[in-house]
Amino acid sequence: MLTKASYTLADGTPLSDLVRVPTREVQMRALSDPEIYQLEMDRVFGKTWLLLGHESEVPNSGDFVVRDMGSDSVIVARAKDGNIHVSLNVCPHRGMRISTVDAGNTQIHKCIYHGWAFKPSGEFIGAPVEKECMHGKMMPKEDLGLPQARVTLYGGIIFATWDLEGPSFEEFLGDAKWYFDTLFERSDKGLEVLGPPQRFIVRANWKAAGEQSAADGYHTLTLHRWLGEVGNYSKSGDGGSADLSPEMYGVEVSSPHGHALRCIDLGRKIKKLSGLDPAELTVEQKLEALPPPGMTREMLPQLRKHLSEEQLEVMVSMPPQVGGIFPNVLFAFVYIPQADGSVLGLTLLHAYVPKGPDQLEFVNWVLAEKDAPQELKDRMLMQSIQLFGTSGMVEQDDSDTWPHMTLAAKGARGRRSTLKYQAVYETGAPAGWPGPGIVNEGFTKDDTQWHWWLYWNELMNAKA
Amino acid sequence: MSAAQQVAENAPVIGNPIPVGAEIYNRIVGFLYQEATLLDTIRLKEWGATLAPDLVYTVPLRQTRPMSQQAQSVIRTVQHYHDNYRSIMGRIMRLTETRSAWAEDPPSRTRRMVSNVQVFATDRPDEFAVVSYLLLTRSRFDFPDMDVISGERNDLLRVDGEGFKLVRREVILDQAVLGTPNLAIFL
Repeated sequence: MLTKASYTLADGTPLSDLVRVPTREVQMRALSDPEIYQLEMDRVFGKTWLLLGHESEVPNSGDFVVRDMGSDSVIVARAKDGNIHVSLNVCPHRGMRISTVDAGNTQIHKCIYHGWAFKPSGEFIGAPVEKECMHGKMMPKEDLGLPQARVTLYGGIIFATWDLEGPSFEEFLGDAKWYFDTLFERSDKGLEVLGPPQRFIVRANWKAAGEQSAADGYHTLTLHRWLGEVGNYSKSGDGGSADLSPEMYGVEVSSPHGHALRCIDLGRKIKKLSGLDPAELTVEQKLEALPPPGMTREMLPQLRKHLSEEQLEVMVSMPPQVGGIFPNVLFAFVYIPQADGSVLGLTLLHAYVPKGPDQLEFVNWVLAEKDAPQELKDRMLMQSIQLFGTSGMVEQDDSDTWPHMTLAAKGARGRRSTLKYQAVYETGAPAGWPGPGIVNEGFTKDDTQWHWWLYWNELMNAKA
Repeated sequence: MSAAQQVAENAPVIGNPIPVGAEIYNRIVGFLYQEATLLDTIRLKEWGATLAPDLVYTVPLRQTRPMSQQAQSVIRTVQHYHDNYRSIMGRIMRLTETRSAWAEDPPSRTRRMVSNVQVFATDRPDEFAVVSYLLLTRSRFDFPDMDVISGERNDLLRVDGEGFKLVRREVILDQAVLGTPNLAIFL
């Protein structure tokens, strides 16, 4: 629900003017303004569920990783009872960061400044010189623990929120969950990380990356044009045409909570691999011809146990391959053509962690199904690194683009320019489409990203 | 078995250090300088010609870990680069033969400063282990900030006529969170 905005920015602009609903425009200043950034840290990153990692990163009691929720550092730790806790990484004594490392294993997180100690669950153990009662007598020990975020595991992925009374993660995903389940909850043992995430800094506002993750299809045609020029995607035999537009037909799913999925037609790939007309094939035959990313044919029976017939139909015809979870997550479950004519599936998750109005940290996890054979995991890992993340030949072009948008948004005139999301679907869902939600078919449009901005707008203007 | 493990098992045994100023030492330093020139002047195909067909080219992640766990600060599962000859040639092809490799078009202005070179004999007479420091500055567009990439190269060079071929390169970077938006450049 959009509420009447009461907040006015320092220059007199009402916050509610940033997103112009009738013409589907967003003022550019949203991509650089420090005042807007500060509001986002509370109103967006203080309210939504945020991706922190995968439980396979902290398999044992005492294992921990240090991650960020918006502008706050948190300790993600597995406690003795096996549960994963997310604690604010700030000593309640004098505000020192408690953990100064990226990862490790300990049953006692001890602040190096004055020695206050905490369990992996965030509970206060005690301060030094107990007999002199260094921690004072004004507050009970129970009140001196580390503030706890609310944690959920979804397909083993760790999400947390500071909004303790807000919507559940399921409610937050809403109709999009039906689709996300086909990615994250489809196998017996689920996914695992293949190592710690890549991390690097991009001098860009987090929303430049965040809104692109809301299933922007258009950028592929120009920014990733090289895919059509050389390599295994190139249209050799088509007169060297680098036109990627045939790939841009499909189905796009939007969410009122800003989640987005680009579902891309598998028909041509299945035809190429099997030599058969996909229209003549059963769900089973299509799965055999091209198993989902990271799955072998031997693993296919697992799908039936976890997914409905309708979900399987989407998986074999028009599966989600890229998209986002609001506010700052990108997922990729992509089918990558190989030189030998086969197809290799990859599974990745990114978080674009805000590090100031004009800086983000790109965090890239490479995943695989736990049950996949080691040889397949190794190939997935190598191919993932070559195409995505730090040196990835696809994503190096993305990360080089966002800083320009952020700089442009600082211009006295440029900040008043608008981002336009005016390519509107007029189709609706394809006939017989079995999935829920806001669904449109055809050539990529701006609807998914526009819905991302609408939810951002709703959160930013919500009454505190 | 992962590709990285295979390399470790096939890696030559590293022997004695070769003194600074020895003929082979000087030739290796000359190769590293020439290589820096090829990369800084974007003569990528010429650089590609110095790579061995059995090349393994990797850049591990780094993690901030306590003093007692320094071995775990170098991560060789997910890495920043994990390439072989074929994939490096694919990268060169993308950069030189397409009109849309935007992360390096327009190209960065770079300086590769190679120093602290130590050369070691191996149990193979035609292969030398080379440790060097790399300080790489990267300037893009009209941005006033210069990206700085620093690290240690652990190379294996094979004698190839008068020159050398790069057989193995692992670059141990100093940053846990890289301060450059991508590694569209070779280290």
